[in-house]
Amino acid sequence: MSDLDGAVELLRQCRPIPELQVREICFKAREILIEEANVQIVDAPVTICGDIHGQFHDLMELFKVGGDCPDTNYLFMGDFVDRGFYSLESFLLLLCLKVRFPDRITLIRGNHESRQITTVYGFYDECIRKYGSANVWRYCCDVFDYLALGALVIGAGTSVQPTRSADGDDIETRVREAEDEVEIEVIGLGGVVTRQMLRREAGMINSTNLTPSALPHLSSSGPAGPLLTGIPGTGASGNSRGIATPNNAPANTGGAVLCVHGGLSPLIDSVDKIRLLDRKQEVPHDGAMCDLLWSDPEEIDGWGLSPRGAGFLFGADIVKQFNHLNNLTLIARAHQLVMEGFKEMFDSSIVTVWSAPNYCYRCGNVAAILELGEDNSNAVLRSGGEEVLFNRENTRRLASTYMGGSMKRGGPGRRYRVFEAAAQDSRGMPSKKPMPYYFL
Amino acid sequence: MALVVPNPPEQPRRVKVYELRNNDWFDRGTGYCTGQVLNDEPHIQVKSEEEEDRLLLETRIVKDDGYQKQQETLIVWTEPNGTDMALSFQEPEGCAAIWDFVSHVQNRIMSLSSTDDILSDDNESILYSVKLPKPELNILSSIENMMHTLTINSAGRDSLAKFIINEDYIPKLVPLLEMAEDMEMLPELFSLCRIMKIIILLNDSTIIEYIVTDEVAMGVVGILEYDPDFPTHKANHRSYLADNSRFKQVVPIDDPDIEKKIHQTYRLQYLKDVVLARILDDPTFSVLNSLIFFNQVDIVQHLQTNTTFLKALFDLFASDPLPPEEVQRRKHGVQFLQQCASIAKNLQGPSRSQLYQNLIQHGLFSVIEYALLNGDPATRIAGTEILVCMLDNDSGMMRNFIFKQIQEKTKPLTDTLIELLLNEEDLGVKAQVADAIKVLLDPSQAQPMEGLGKVSEMMNSMTATRRPPEDLPTEVFFSNYYDKSAKRLFKPLTDLEKRAPITFLSSQESALYTHLLELLCFFVRHHLFRNKYFILSENIAPRVAQLLSAREKFVQLAALKFFRACVQLNDEFYNRQLIKNKLLEPILNIVIETMPKDNLLNSACLEFFEFIKREGIKLLITHLVEQYRDKLQSITYVDTFSSLMVKYDQLHDKTVPYSADEDATPRNSMNGGKRWEGLKDLDAAEEEYFNGSDDDEEVEYSAVENSQKRIKTGGKAVLGVSSSTSPAASIKSLVDYPDDDDVMDTEDAEGEAVKVDSNSVSAAASDPGIENLNIASRASSVGADGAVEDGSSGTTATTTAGATAGDDLVMAGSLPPTPDRLSEKRRREEEAEEDGMERLLRSTKKRSPSVGKKGGVSSPSSTPSGGGGGGGGGGNGKKISISFASKGENGKGKKEDKREEKEKEKEEV
Repeated sequence: MSDLDGAVELLRQCRPIPELQVREICFKAREILIEEANVQIVDAPVTICGDIHGQFHDLMELFKVGGDCPDTNYLFMGDFVDRGFYSLESFLLLLCLKVRFPDRITLIRGNHESRQITTVYGFYDECIRKYGSANVWRYCCDVFDYLALGALVIGAGTSVQPTRSADGDDIETRVREAEDEVEIEVIGLGGVVTRQMLRREAGMINSTNLTPSALPHLSSSGPAGPLLTGIPGTGASGNSRGIATPNNAPANTGGAVLCVHGGLSPLIDSVDKIRLLDRKQEVPHDGAMCDLLWSDPEEIDGWGLSPRGAGFLFGADIVKQFNHLNNLTLIARAHQLVMEGFKEMFDSSIVTVWSAPNYCYRCGNVAAILELGEDNSNAVLRSGGEEVLFNRENTRRLASTYMGGSMKRGGPGRRYRVFEAAAQDSRGMPSKKPMPYYFL
Repeated sequence: MALVVPNPPEQPRRVKVYELRNNDWFDRGTGYCTGQVLNDEPHIQVKSEEEEDRLLLETRIVKDDGYQKQQETLIVWTEPNGTDMALSFQEPEGCAAIWDFVSHVQNRIMSLSSTDDILSDDNESILYSVKLPKPELNILSSIENMMHTLTINSAGRDSLAKFIINEDYIPKLVPLLEMAEDMEMLPELFSLCRIMKIIILLNDSTIIEYIVTDEVAMGVVGILEYDPDFPTHKANHRSYLADNSRFKQVVPIDDPDIEKKIHQTYRLQYLKDVVLARILDDPTFSVLNSLIFFNQVDIVQHLQTNTTFLKALFDLFASDPLPPEEVQRRKHGVQFLQQCASIAKNLQGPSRSQLYQNLIQHGLFSVIEYALLNGDPATRIAGTEILVCMLDNDSGMMRNFIFKQIQEKTKPLTDTLIELLLNEEDLGVKAQVADAIKVLLDPSQAQPMEGLGKVSEMMNSMTATRRPPEDLPTEVFFSNYYDKSAKRLFKPLTDLEKRAPITFLSSQESALYTHLLELLCFFVRHHLFRNKYFILSENIAPRVAQLLSAREKFVQLAALKFFRACVQLNDEFYNRQLIKNKLLEPILNIVIETMPKDNLLNSACLEFFEFIKREGIKLLITHLVEQYRDKLQSITYVDTFSSLMVKYDQLHDKTVPYSADEDATPRNSMNGGKRWEGLKDLDAAEEEYFNGSDDDEEVEYSAVENSQKRIKTGGKAVLGVSSSTSPAASIKSLVDYPDDDDVMDTEDAEGEAVKVDSNSVSAAASDPGIENLNIASRASSVGADGAVEDGSSGTTATTTAGATAGDDLVMAGSLPPTPDRLSEKRRREEEAEEDGMERLLRSTKKRSPSVGKKGGVSSPSSTPSGGGGGGGGGGNGKKISISFASKGENGKGKKEDKREEKEKEKEEV
């Protein structure tokens, strides 16, 4: 369909497409999305992305880092629009890709995919500026109503596949040797892999010949690299926390990964219950559908009221219970800014993935995407449990600790690719489109 | 010092007056607040609500930046004698009106004082004396450094701002741009740009107002073209703004001041959206916004009183036949009015209504009719947009107009819209017209409230489902609609009868049916009685069922929504219609057809039957099972249908008393609470939810809930805790808004607890956790008075120590918000996210949820309705099993830590 390819081409240049074409694409997308389940089943391997928020140039950066669609299988967890200046181009590009490669990209709904929210946070305004009427906004909002509420990734392996990055050949081999379950890759400007690190379960370390010297980047203690130094806290701390791991390990290494924008709902105790929702509606103010899009994990017991005024806070016990009952190894969600791009919580039973670097063009955060590999390994049980210290060159956030839990649980092999905002120069000055003319 | 303040807010706004005494906010009383100009001096007055002669407050607005607006409803300041005062408004609009007045006055004083008063001011306050050298290209970098140093603290920023204004510093910088450009001195250009950014981000409204004036605007944006953050990129702001053709002047505006203001406003918008979009901090953003707002107010104010102008504008549409060269001008005329209408959205109620009154007098309606029937889709869109704005402003006004049309036997606007919807080919216009019809026929659109406490209290006491009292024109309007227009509107539906099975729908048709079905759903929910008759007499339901077999799934979905809306009402009339016409069968068939697929349509159908099951709608269950038992039995991939049959057996087994306890799922919850649902049976629903289930997994789950779930406020601030970190530390108890959740005040908590204890003994059941929640949520659904006390006391009763009562009570108070308020709350929430401090302040306030739009301002004892606070909307709240009981004593401290941590690490999205 050359027509569609033409639209993709225009959109890749961050240029809006004609209104009629938007309508056509939205109608086609509607046909595709209406066939999707509330919780769409997605096969690994897949790359999971969090909030985009109209940061078009950073979305392009994301595709550079994660690979192009359809070469990479993508899953976007909502919040495509608002805040950034290019919500329209970002969302339409993703939608075009959805129409073009329906099986290679999955879009689920975020809390910003709503009429009410978009009128306040910029998408509505942007459509008016770019088209002079609310038509395009209406078409897009209609599509929002058809977006799936979540996705279930099945067949994720316990190890991640070698990096596909063009210049990472030698690193690849090392990763293969390591066969570790969590890998973090930091991509500097220009797409060069600047650092890779593995988080290893202490008790398992003997099974590999991995030594610090095998990973020069990691081992360099002190102010070595200009960008980032990772200190894997292996050894000493391992004994204390590694003991329970083998027993604690999930029997269900083949368990699925639930992806949802916000989090859990007290009204939903099983993934199947989500199937019983009529999702074709504006995001309600409460109820299960609202919660799935609005809730947040929090260090509490049980459920708590959310300061957002919608959705709930939920604690580790809730997540573990839910994962256990539904045979899940992980919940991936977005919805909250994390300065490091991703944050695992509750013994790695849930992760927040955030994909809008330098959020709002000023938050100074990095972004991440999460790659889940295919289950073609021998499913060796791996368990993560190390604290990794990030030292960014940028001293605004000197160090940040994540993975503070004391006992780790296994889970699918995951590779986080961390990336920064697109270089300023590559895109000119980001700004809103001025009103073309005025009477008053 | 003469002050010209346009429109001092004379409309009384209900407000509570507080005075800070010994670090506690002393309540001076409730009254009505106005802004006034007395002897050329601006004043704020509050007259007591009880004795009209008594003034609760009478203060002159002084030149001092000590005035702060906090959240939506608070204004805080320090009197010249040093007393801290606060006004807490019942409604955000009232607060905004007074705040506008205050800030306007201050702007005026500011600009006056910059000429005559500045020195004395300097003597009063301790300011750095700032002296920067005259700008030269070769010393730019040192100027930049000096400025940078000054901006570190607020005193430095203030004095720098004053210096820049007094010394005309900006005009001295501007000529350097051309010199540097001529000599291609890039570092100097970057330096200039950085200096200009520093100046703008001083966030001084006088400066910002100045930089968009004709004298310096081009120079300033020219300087900003060389952004050092984009060293290889030069913007072209000057050429963009210099392009005068962007200003479309339909009718010449002969007032040069106003014309200047129009250009300046455009420049401000350009600054905000383009030049500074990336670097704007929140304060500067809001300064820009308020400058734009005030300019627009002035412009609109001028234009609507300029009769020559208005006459010329509307005469454009009078000449008939239309001279060809005027076509474009007319189009622009409509767009001009559209822009007026969209500006008017931001105006306050009364001035907005006044604007429309003026425009209507000059013939706005005929312009709308002209626009709606225009050949150009863009003009039709503009026309409907104006219409929707007017409807949003005051649908009563529109209905009165249509009432007149009906009496004069001219074609009512309703019919024009209906024709447009039926015949419109542009799908965008079609959608918008459908929206307009919906708003026009929305009976819940009450007359705009004038913000008087009495009125809103009255409104409050009415439940959401009750319709406002209908006056005659409204009555006539609706009966005309049902007698005549509705038939025309839904003719495409009724015509389906003659149409054989629906196979193919054109895109126009499918769009039209979707809109019609949406409207129909809306009427089912909102026009309870008239619409029932209409649906029966026109035999609509079977026609909609025909659309269930449309090839387009989204049309099927839209049809399904209609039946879902009918079932939602649980109304015998609709249920019998469904049964009589066997309309559940096609829906059941869709389930069977789509069964293995698990797609949207399938889920929506499941939800439909799930709802019937959950609600235990006897008629429908009986019908389903007796007619379609085989089909039901064939669907096994979900347990919905088998439980329907179980339910049937229960319903018809006389030996087992029917109970609604079968389901663990609360009603409403699966699909979100629908606001049109009354409160009537919520308690039953809650009990239904909490009292267990017939399914093992369920049991396990709810057991977990009951035993483990405890509520924490998480990021929510607790009274007075966060204020210690805020600049307004002294105003801590301000957030302790004395209304419905006054009862949760820690002081009273213990006494309350005791009292409640005795009240709720009888209620205490074997499972205290469950019982508590029931009580608490029931309380909140009833209202804030008394009942909440019960609820909180029930909670306390099971709490081990009275000491924790305060905590728990707080939590009870923050139970479910109303949907109305929720959106507002959510908006604030999101707004707050960028500014930690602001957020702290807000979150403190947040937990006194009472001052919603319709909230009563007074304390609970005097407001029976309890305001729109946490209480009022409980009916739509969430029902989950939350036990308040086991909150530890250290909860508070923890909470605070957590909040701070959160502030840092977790800006929400």
